[in-house]
Amino acid sequence: MAGSGKAHLRPAGQTLLRAEDLTVEFPVGTTGQVVHAVSGISIDLVEGETLGLVGESGCGKSTTGKAMMQVPRPTAGSVSLDGAELTTLDDETLRRTRPVLQMIFQDPISALNPRRTVRDIIGEPLMIWWEEEEGRPPTSIWFEWFGRLFQWVAGSITRPLRYVAPLAAVALALWIISEAAEERRFESQLAWLDVPARIIGFPVLAVVLAIVAVLLVLGLVWLALAIVVPFGVVSKVLGRVPAAVGLAGAGSALAIAVFMVWRTWNSLGGYPALAVRGLLIAVAVAVGVWFVASLLDPSRAGASGIAGALVGVAALELFYIAGLDGIPKLLVLLAAVALNVGLYRVVSRQLRARREELRARAEPRVREMLEVVGINPDNALDRKPYEFSGGQAQRLSIARALIMNPKVIICDEPVSALDVSVQAQILNLLEDMKARYGLTLVFIAHDLAVVKNVSDRVAVMYLGKICEVANPDALYAGPAHPYSELLLSAIPHPDPLLDARVSQVAADLPSPIAPPSGCRFRTRCPKAEDRCATDEPEIQRIGDDHYVACHFPNLEPVDEPVAVSRGAGA
Amino acid sequence: MTAVEPVAAPDGRDERPVLQVENLRTEFATPAGPLVAVDGVSFSLDRGKALGIVGESGSGKSVTARSVMRLLPKSNVSSTGRVLLNGVDVMGMSDAELRAIWGPEVSMVFQDPLGSLNPVMRIGQQVAEGLRVHHGVSKKEARDTALTLLRSVGIPSPEARIDEYPHQLSGGMRQRVVIAIALACGPKLLIADEPTTALDVTVQAQILDLLQDQQRDRFMPLILITHDLGVVAGRTDEVIVMYAGRIMERAPTTVLFRDMRMPYTEALFRSIPKIEYPSHTRLAIIPGRPPNMVDPPQGCKFADRCRYAQERCVEEEPELTPASRADHVYRCFYPVGTPEGDEALARNRASGRVDGDGELVHLAAPSGG
Repeated sequence: MAGSGKAHLRPAGQTLLRAEDLTVEFPVGTTGQVVHAVSGISIDLVEGETLGLVGESGCGKSTTGKAMMQVPRPTAGSVSLDGAELTTLDDETLRRTRPVLQMIFQDPISALNPRRTVRDIIGEPLMIWWEEEEGRPPTSIWFEWFGRLFQWVAGSITRPLRYVAPLAAVALALWIISEAAEERRFESQLAWLDVPARIIGFPVLAVVLAIVAVLLVLGLVWLALAIVVPFGVVSKVLGRVPAAVGLAGAGSALAIAVFMVWRTWNSLGGYPALAVRGLLIAVAVAVGVWFVASLLDPSRAGASGIAGALVGVAALELFYIAGLDGIPKLLVLLAAVALNVGLYRVVSRQLRARREELRARAEPRVREMLEVVGINPDNALDRKPYEFSGGQAQRLSIARALIMNPKVIICDEPVSALDVSVQAQILNLLEDMKARYGLTLVFIAHDLAVVKNVSDRVAVMYLGKICEVANPDALYAGPAHPYSELLLSAIPHPDPLLDARVSQVAADLPSPIAPPSGCRFRTRCPKAEDRCATDEPEIQRIGDDHYVACHFPNLEPVDEPVAVSRGAGA
Repeated sequence: MTAVEPVAAPDGRDERPVLQVENLRTEFATPAGPLVAVDGVSFSLDRGKALGIVGESGSGKSVTARSVMRLLPKSNVSSTGRVLLNGVDVMGMSDAELRAIWGPEVSMVFQDPLGSLNPVMRIGQQVAEGLRVHHGVSKKEARDTALTLLRSVGIPSPEARIDEYPHQLSGGMRQRVVIAIALACGPKLLIADEPTTALDVTVQAQILDLLQDQQRDRFMPLILITHDLGVVAGRTDEVIVMYAGRIMERAPTTVLFRDMRMPYTEALFRSIPKIEYPSHTRLAIIPGRPPNMVDPPQGCKFADRCRYAQERCVEEEPELTPASRADHVYRCFYPVGTPEGDEALARNRASGRVDGDGELVHLAAPSGG
């Protein structure tokens, strides 16, 4: 394939981050077609080096950067960090390597959560990590577990219910209308409707009753919500949205399910009904014990919060057996709600205390990082990202990436959305950070002048392939690949006496769904010949740390053995 | 092809400037008080010329263009001054009159091509819309003209593309469609507001070439707004550098780049990473941020970020002064490349405000003593 080959790779022992035969493909809807975003490229980084990845939109440079981060995981190929293979790691182990491998995105404002303060945005990675290391409180684990389970249960129960409720209301209204039409009077349990029906007429009454029926159904939903909302709030404190949704749905589903079982068995009577009642009572007792225990030990309050709902429902059964109904039953329901609210307080207080403790612990480090990137922490800590200019927000992104002491940072077009003057500030800052923390950087950009400024080695990409890999000064002095030449000619020169026009025909990129055969650049290449359509050029060495994938490079290939890498870029 | 050579107007053409802006001032009402986004901007633009307006975000360049177009909302904006478009005052026009000039007289290309196209309308219709409204041509005729326009802005096989939707096109192609729309009614003035900022360098070069071709072929004046001095360098006849809503320097492009006087222009120029520099060259930066225009500083607005600034700059705002030639004006007491400027820089270096590399160390403006 175009631009394959590994001539430019350095010995495995010397490299920190290494991608080999990296391929990323995205399916096009359900058409069975595939976008060949990155097609078998190999690239490596020595510790302390900055690799510039440069090319037009759609050349696969960002996808390469993200595939190194394993978001998404590459379709094929290997990525190794410090000798450890990343592509085969399971999700949890991969997550544990994240502090080492960080990323900075193009648009700083949208990369930062607008509803959170700078203190939390920058400190969060640290706080999450501390929580991981010291073990999360059991509460949140339980919540996550229950959240997942109940989300599934709630989903399978409430989805049909949504359709059943309005249908039931309509059926009830139809039934009343047909009764009224046939007999013109109401008997038995509907006799009380006779008088209003005479006064307002049957059709109007039918409509009113239909509305009442709908409201009753809604009322049940609200009652269920009243029991369940506290769970939702607790989960919100935990910041876990799926759990919140799951628990909210779960509570209502649970209440409805138990209610239905109870009704069914009740109507059957006999031994089965007794068995169910016995079971429910047993559950109620067990859960009650659990519940009281949890009040004594708040760390278990989360799990027993669910139990609170069960207590409420099961207790209903006890009351039923005891022959209680009406007001006492209502009181039990209210008690269940009150208990939930109480639990919410206990749990949230505990979680908030934990978060405050972590936040206080993180603060000195957050302040330090802000100062390092040139932002005054006293003014910034409690502000939100949109209160900052684009350049300052990019500084915040850098601070967030740095707080975990990463080895490698992947910078995806970090200055493309910024003004020229601000761009210079951010480029200088990245250079300072690299020197100060010994970082290894992957710098992705479409502007060769910017890439040249920060890079120790530049890889030019086109349509998912590597065209040229070189030391930036060598690349600019003599671009060997026609595409590098095109990119160079497109840079706006701040000199009115230079010819500003692009010398080459610069057409659009071919579709990555069906990339050209042979060399992928041949459709735009001024030098293309027949051979370019059939043979794919391999990467070959043409000078000291200068490699090109082209059949007709501007420089002649050299056949000497590959020179030893230049080591860490200084 | 270097800077655009002045093209002689064909005989019988109106020789008055197409656009004359006099003392334009635009204020936004904000909760914190009136924000003067554009203050006392005057310039004129002749037929067939290209004017570049350069400045950082918030310098007032886009607001200037929108004030000229009268595109700003009426509720919280007040614009004063005179804007003459072919001798007609735009400032006093009613909404109906404005709608009549948007398209045939003046049109605009915006930064984000996806945001300025209607996502649910075929591109051919969008190009033809203005023709149908302003020139009252038939649907068939409008479609034919749209085809010609799409071809002239370099869209390959326009017959196939004309019925596509914006999302089916690449960023560069979309911007070409936006340009076709702007050119549809044959405007007498085209304003391009950061037309390439959202695009790749290669596509940027193509779009700028296209604008330049159209500007020459149609003998149409063009205002090119950008934050990048590199973009205006080979493609405009004259450049205005704006900062804090003011014109800081105005000069013919070749003169500006050869003989810039304004420290702000110099700072913008120095911050561009140049391809000739070896890698890891430390870039000169403009420290700090533009001033808060609700409560702007008293003296020169650039003083606190300027490496030449002296006490006088903080107390007194310089007027636009002509340099060696009348069409080159700047707003500075200690201009770059003059004995005064060199002396000011030397003084700042001695006081430690500027370091050995000529970079500003202390952000605060020089104070008395």
